[in-house]
Amino acid sequence: MEANNVNIVEQTQDPSKSPSGLRILWRELVRDKLALFSLILLTLIVVFVYGVSIILDQDEIVTVDLFAIHEAPSEDFILGTDYGGRDVFGQLIIGTRNSLTIGIAVTLISGIIGIAFGLVAGYFGGHTDNTMMRVLDFFQILPFTMLVIVFVSIVPDYTILAFSLIMAVFSWMGIARLIRSKALQEKELDYVQASKTLGTSNTKIIFREVMPNISSLIIVTMTLNLAANIGIESGLSFLGFGFPESTPSLGTLLSYATNPQTLEFRWWIWVPAAVLILVLMLAVRNVGEALRRATDSRQRRG
Amino acid sequence: MAILEVEDLKVYFPIKAGIFNRTVDHIKAVDSVSFSIEEGKTYGLVGESGSGKTTTGRGIIGLENITAGKILFDGVDITDKKSKTKDIRRDMQMIFQDPYSSLNPRKRVFDIIAEPLRNYESLSKLEEKKQVQELLQLVGLSPESILKYPHEFSGGQRQRIGIARAIALKPKLIIADEPVSALDVSVQAQVLNFMQDIQKELGLTYLFISHDLGIVKHMCDDIAIMYKGRYVEQGTKHDIFNNPQHIYTKRLVSAIPDINPRNREKQFRFRRDVQKEYDESYDDYFDDKGLAYGLQPISDTHLVALPERG
Repeated sequence: MEANNVNIVEQTQDPSKSPSGLRILWRELVRDKLALFSLILLTLIVVFVYGVSIILDQDEIVTVDLFAIHEAPSEDFILGTDYGGRDVFGQLIIGTRNSLTIGIAVTLISGIIGIAFGLVAGYFGGHTDNTMMRVLDFFQILPFTMLVIVFVSIVPDYTILAFSLIMAVFSWMGIARLIRSKALQEKELDYVQASKTLGTSNTKIIFREVMPNISSLIIVTMTLNLAANIGIESGLSFLGFGFPESTPSLGTLLSYATNPQTLEFRWWIWVPAAVLILVLMLAVRNVGEALRRATDSRQRRG
Repeated sequence: MAILEVEDLKVYFPIKAGIFNRTVDHIKAVDSVSFSIEEGKTYGLVGESGSGKTTTGRGIIGLENITAGKILFDGVDITDKKSKTKDIRRDMQMIFQDPYSSLNPRKRVFDIIAEPLRNYESLSKLEEKKQVQELLQLVGLSPESILKYPHEFSGGQRQRIGIARAIALKPKLIIADEPVSALDVSVQAQVLNFMQDIQKELGLTYLFISHDLGIVKHMCDDIAIMYKGRYVEQGTKHDIFNNPQHIYTKRLVSAIPDINPRNREKQFRFRRDVQKEYDESYDDYFDDKGLAYGLQPISDTHLVALPERG
């Protein structure tokens, strides 16, 4: 919203005031102990992973050391080493960082595309909506996994950003549909009509009037998408279509378990990564579910 | 000079059916409506729900697509949506029926009222704030309330915020779509009197849409009665209330409550007579589809929908 910055001082909290959307979300989070615990755990993991990975040197960790192959956890290597003698703990930290970064980037990029697309389609409706939805249908019937694999194989410059973009291009449709349906409802409300008669441009109405009113829905969907995207990235890396071993991610660590020897006798290579994927996805999901409940007053606990 | 002239306005909504979504028929929400409003006057549009009065207003301001007809505003043809330039939109504002949904719940009162100012006038932040506070004062709200959100106000106060927003640009014409029907009766009079005050002060012209004849009698100079998308009767306040010609108008006028208990019996008999007349002469006033006929002049100002004589 424009011009909230016009020397408007934040009011002191008035108990008679009905709480704002963000406050409701927060209250629900606090009330749901599991979600609050998940949020704290998640924050700790994120801070720890990003903090430690600054100290760690990725190149050093992924350097093959033939004298330290398959070592069990010891004081030198907290979580032992893999078949290349590489420190699993370091890979786990770097891998979690990479997985998280990709998950967040994909969620943000696909979120921005999806929200803009859905808002425009829903707001204008009619023929615009019809055409845009057919484009969306086209994207939706494309086989996601296959296309990502193809793109991943043909893109030469293979960075975290490129990978995120490729994933995002094929995963914005869900949020676009959701936002569109909400925008279709919202545009019929009088305040949108009023803005039209007051001479406000469509772009301004879409992004300054309609979007803030569906912000809670946006926050919830993005959170739930984040959990899904972390999973998808790990899945792709597990299949070998994510990053090469020189750029560890949770999925690459997990893929060592395709070797029966590793699966059975060298748990330290893949169990931590598996647990971490599970914990991350569950924690993000718990937070997302609590937020989703907060948007529906009948399901709220707070 | 007439500020708004509407000629043969038609707004049809298509009924779509079948596998190809073909248009099979139309709902004639507004069917050949013509009128003109003099500057500084209040023109009342009355009708039951579904009669097309709101659609007429929305069609004029451009929220509804016009099927056919012509709208002249200040002598300029604004029938086509594209011909409604920014300057013309500025001179025509609307007050909405529902004060609860017509204000964006996420915006502060300051941002709500400043919205038209930001679109049309490049004021400095300080001037803008001053103007908004003046407007709030004009509608009888405290200038300190600019920091509040709409939900912190009562229905009547919200409607006055809506009015403040509509008059912010000093428009020439305000389309008031049932501005008080969502309000308590005690607040209605307050808002109506206030609307009359600012009319005098700013020289506004109102297109006043309502279903409440009592309010229309209080507010309007000229009145038109609508039924099923067509005009049934049009005339000055005096014509409509003292000399109703069409049976539908008579029925509406007879339904205005009278608070004097001595007249109760008389009023009751009067209503029964009108109802009897309505039942008996229905076919004389409505065609075989139950629609009103075209308007025939019976005096300079008074037009009634009657079948062509002879």
